[in-house]
Amino acid sequence: MRRYNHCHEEKVMKVKVRFFARFKELLGTDIVVDAATGIALNGLIRDIAAKNSEGYDEIFDENGTFKDFVILMRNGKRIDSTDAPQTKIEDGDEIAVFPPVAGG
Amino acid sequence: MISKRERERYKRQMALFGEEGQERLKRSHIAIAGAGGLGSPVAIYLAVAGIGTLTIVDNDMVEVSNLNRQILHSDRDIGKRKTASAEGKLRDLNPDISVRVIDTTIDATNAASLIGSADGIVDALDNFPTRYVLNDVAIMKNVPLFHGAVRGFYGQASTIIPYTSACLRCIFPKAPPKETVPVVGATAGFIGMVQATEVIKFLTNRGELLTNRLLIWDGMQARAEEIAIKRNPRCESCGDTTTAMRKK
Repeated sequence: MRRYNHCHEEKVMKVKVRFFARFKELLGTDIVVDAATGIALNGLIRDIAAKNSEGYDEIFDENGTFKDFVILMRNGKRIDSTDAPQTKIEDGDEIAVFPPVAGG
Repeated sequence: MISKRERERYKRQMALFGEEGQERLKRSHIAIAGAGGLGSPVAIYLAVAGIGTLTIVDNDMVEVSNLNRQILHSDRDIGKRKTASAEGKLRDLNPDISVRVIDTTIDATNAASLIGSADGIVDALDNFPTRYVLNDVAIMKNVPLFHGAVRGFYGQASTIIPYTSACLRCIFPKAPPKETVPVVGATAGFIGMVQATEVIKFLTNRGELLTNRLLIWDGMQARAEEIAIKRNPRCESCGDTTTAMRKK
């Protein structure tokens, strides 16, 4: 007999992550991920960026904190990178991660 | 007054904004900070559009490695001051406008006087620390700042109307790290065209400006996208506290 364990099954959310410019070259874009309930913005992006160490290092410092110039948007609204650890992801969120360019 | 010769010269654009619009361009003064990759196409198009006075500030000499993108300068200009090269080209393109060139490095001590009484500032710089200085001057003088920046096949642009839209520091509170950026001339051309178009729209009071929006150009994918941006009430440069303090 198969047993189902509904109580402990972790709920999964669909979240779309868009990287821009240099971040996109290294990590791809329009990435749809299954995110665990309760995950925060920094954890979500860290997990995705971990697949490419160069991409990870462009976005995060050695403590795993967003580099201060990285622009984060959630559903079109700016999130200060220092607020990312407290920003809980919700089902259907669209996150944009963008590096400003500086040349002229 | 628009002369007969000017009427002929600008005929095709006066069809869009009339003699009144052309008069406005003629009476206007725009400062362009930088005569490099962005400054070149911006200066060329603003000159031929008939902006009455252009001030161009740059402190570099033309080098051979500039020539893939800095289309104001030619092979024969290598070793010349960029300001001298720019002045000659722009006068050739349009002798009916006035071109002022200033050969210096912009910093916090001289920026306000370099910009003088310009009606708007074009950010054609290659670094963020000086961009923040220009941003502060634009806020202090209450004139628009037309931002642009490029890297490789990517670019970004936004128009800043002080106290009305997000300023450069609201959008980018921290500067990205300094680097020698790779860039293809066509990318600088694309972003420079966005900036020049914004200047003309602002001066002729036409269309919808690129305010509270950051345009992001991805040349590799041939996609332009935009990110909505908002003024930060706590912004160091234009936030409510800073503004209140300035007004005292």
